[in-house]
Amino acid sequence: MLEREFKLAAARPGDIFKPMWFLMLVISIVPLALSPDSALLADIGSAMIWVATLLAILLNTEHLFQSDFADGVLEQWLFLDRPLAWLVGLKLIVHWLFHVVPLICIIPIAGLMLSVPSDVLIALLMTLVIATPALTCFSGLGAALTLGSSRSGILGVLVMMPLFVPVVILAAGVLIRATDGSEILPLMALLGAFSLVAATLVPIAVSAAIRLNIGGSN
Amino acid sequence: MVGSIWGLGFAPVDYQQGNSYRIIYIHVPAAFLAQAMYVVMAICALVLFVWRLKLADVAMQATAVMGLAFTVLSLVSGAVWGKPTWGTYWVWDARLTSMLILGFLYLGLIGLRAAIQDPDQAGKACGILVLVGVVNLPIIKYSVEWWNTLHQPASIKLTEKPTMPASMWVPLLVNILGYYTASAYLVLGSMRAIVIGRERRASWVKELVGRA
Repeated sequence: MLEREFKLAAARPGDIFKPMWFLMLVISIVPLALSPDSALLADIGSAMIWVATLLAILLNTEHLFQSDFADGVLEQWLFLDRPLAWLVGLKLIVHWLFHVVPLICIIPIAGLMLSVPSDVLIALLMTLVIATPALTCFSGLGAALTLGSSRSGILGVLVMMPLFVPVVILAAGVLIRATDGSEILPLMALLGAFSLVAATLVPIAVSAAIRLNIGGSN
Repeated sequence: MVGSIWGLGFAPVDYQQGNSYRIIYIHVPAAFLAQAMYVVMAICALVLFVWRLKLADVAMQATAVMGLAFTVLSLVSGAVWGKPTWGTYWVWDARLTSMLILGFLYLGLIGLRAAIQDPDQAGKACGILVLVGVVNLPIIKYSVEWWNTLHQPASIKLTEKPTMPASMWVPLLVNILGYYTASAYLVLGSMRAIVIGRERRASWVKELVGRA
């Protein structure tokens, strides 16, 4: 099961690069639209990187279940003797490893380009590592909910965006405190707690959504 | 109706804010209802999943639209009031922001329902989203509040004495009750329309239409 997911993800390296490409493009647009002044960029750079990463994850996860739905793999999953939520969780983990972790890896470069100070950059990387599992789970739920509708388009993204608010606020709090040089650990812990709760509960909702979409198409 | 006329026409002028405060007779009940609608919707979603009542799904569809309407009403009336009082139409304040997010949640629900063709399936998908949202909503509210706040604390609480004189809060209370009953009436009315729309091929609807 896990092996299949790994093979599938490794078979399409283009999909791994696309979000990174997107992120770098957004990062290069910012100074063009705003100003090349490095002091200004350093102030808003970390927030810009956060928003860009969020969008990259959202766009990338939108079609997470589409091909498995089309070729009937999801239907097979229903008949396995393992709980569907467990399989969904595995799929989300592999997705995170292959498509989100590379994204986090190039963020130091993006940070350098926007002249984010190094201690803030470390805090930024930590928030992203902690928060992205929650973001991946929620976007996965959006993808699963809109599986059955042919004209969903960007709807999954629109539906899920409001649910990201707490994650973004907490992460922004960490970044502001990192800029001040004050204590960031408590907020980091809250962020971690949110991510853990999301990672345990959301796969259940995702599997309910998948079951619903497959039941409806028969 | 009584509350609105009483509040808008006869309640005394506030010594600080002048006549502009009268908009609370629209703003506060609308904001109350916008939040109450989500609670009703969450209860309906629970009922839908536990007892599989079709009517709960119909109620969910009706309340989502009403909830969005009240959210927009409270935001717009707040903006109109904010201009003379705070000097600006919009600030990124905690309550304003969480109402805005609530509005986006309602929009997402309506959009999701519109995108899925089979009504039963659409109802269940919305139900999942509502339940996820209801877990997340308190977290959103508290995180936004922690983030930034400017809005004055609520003037009426159940447990404390109101901070305004009776001639002001009595019409407000009447108005809130009026909004509750009026929206219940509207929700039931639109539920009736939705049921008839969904069952348009059933014989009892044809009979009903034939008689009318």
